[in-house]
Amino acid sequence: MNCQELQEMFELYALGVLESPDKNEIDAHLARGCENCHEALADALALNAGVLSFAPDTAPPKRLKRRVLSSLGVHYPSWGWVWAVAAVGLLLVAGWLGVEERQRSAELAGARRALLEVNGERDRLTQALQFLSDPQTVPASFGRGQTAPPRGYVFLHPQLGVLLIASNLPAAGQGKTYEMWVIPKGGAPRPAGLFQSDGTRALHILNGPVDVSTIGTIAVTLEPAAGSAAPTMPILIAAAIGT
Amino acid sequence: MLLLKLLPAGLAFGLLQVVLRLAEDTDLARRLKAHEPKAMNDLYDRYGRLAYSLIYRIVRNPATAQDLVQETFLRIWNRVQSFDAERGALGAWVLTVARNRAIDHLRSVDGRMEAGSMDLDQLERPALFAKLDATPLAIDRVRRLKSAFEKLTPTQRQVIELAYYEGLSQTEMAERLKQPLGTVKTWTRSALKILRDELAEAAIA
Repeated sequence: MNCQELQEMFELYALGVLESPDKNEIDAHLARGCENCHEALADALALNAGVLSFAPDTAPPKRLKRRVLSSLGVHYPSWGWVWAVAAVGLLLVAGWLGVEERQRSAELAGARRALLEVNGERDRLTQALQFLSDPQTVPASFGRGQTAPPRGYVFLHPQLGVLLIASNLPAAGQGKTYEMWVIPKGGAPRPAGLFQSDGTRALHILNGPVDVSTIGTIAVTLEPAAGSAAPTMPILIAAAIGT
Repeated sequence: MLLLKLLPAGLAFGLLQVVLRLAEDTDLARRLKAHEPKAMNDLYDRYGRLAYSLIYRIVRNPATAQDLVQETFLRIWNRVQSFDAERGALGAWVLTVARNRAIDHLRSVDGRMEAGSMDLDQLERPALFAKLDATPLAIDRVRRLKSAFEKLTPTQRQVIELAYYEGLSQTEMAERLKQPLGTVKTWTRSALKILRDELAEAAIA
């Protein structure tokens, strides 16, 4: 096929609905760097975006924005005194748990094994591997010595953020979600994103720089589906950092 | 504002939110690349409703639509480093990612992850959106496109909707519509040509 014939299929190609052998021919043609066709592909993407914008306007629930931002670890200000009290309680719980100090290599090896068991999205797995392969990563574990699970690891990295890998974590249930908290030493918990468990395992990442030296504990609670500005339920996971 | 009166109220409302601030997209993309938390707030304000509307149109379920909107913005956040803030079309990228998340969901529910289907991940790479016209969602373009779409025959409209909102290949469309594959290809090709020609005329005008 010539360029014009190929370009007549670019919209379908860009939508991912074009079948072989046409798809393969376009793949190969674009790979050869045809400038005209790359421009035509951009036109097809623009046309597709225009058609997609025809969808009837439907208002999302107001709580969705908070949920989306929370899942990205976007912090909300305004913490009350009650959370300072809660933070003290969390630190006590973290101390009671007595997280064992382990060698970095053993932590990373254990985490890699745990990571292989997690059914997560590819992006998050790629990100998680970045944590595990970087020497700046600070590991910690939780759940050891407890009679009841969950167990797992958290990893803190000054640029990447916080990675949590948990096993034996039941599904949150209807209308509920797990929420991670970053608790500074002597400070109040800050929301660090919402996540779900597949029934046994969960992986969650807080993106963005963190000051590892000031973080005392990473904690997890079960919260209403839209998440909470501060913990409203008992701590399920508490990983003390640097102990 | 006169143009808005020519559109259905719902469509006009959604578009108005998008196009009035197109000029700010470049700055927003820069702030997203810097991982400023406020930038994600602004991105949601600008495109959250449009993304939800599109995903809801595809999956027809509010709870699923909310999950997929969350997934869409997570993906944008994770991949924005590769986005060209100076030349990229942010709105088109968000809509594409949103549509692909919804189609991925439909395909997984229907068991349609066949080997021949294109990997949608590859079709939403930020680099692909660096050469787009900076205003693919400009209201005049969308109005003309919508007008052209409404002039399509019922069968042409049907195949376009099946491709865009259900992610069906032409073979799958033929099976769904109980029509020969050649007929479906003719409908699709002619429909896309009409839409393409309309945009080309809009560009000249």
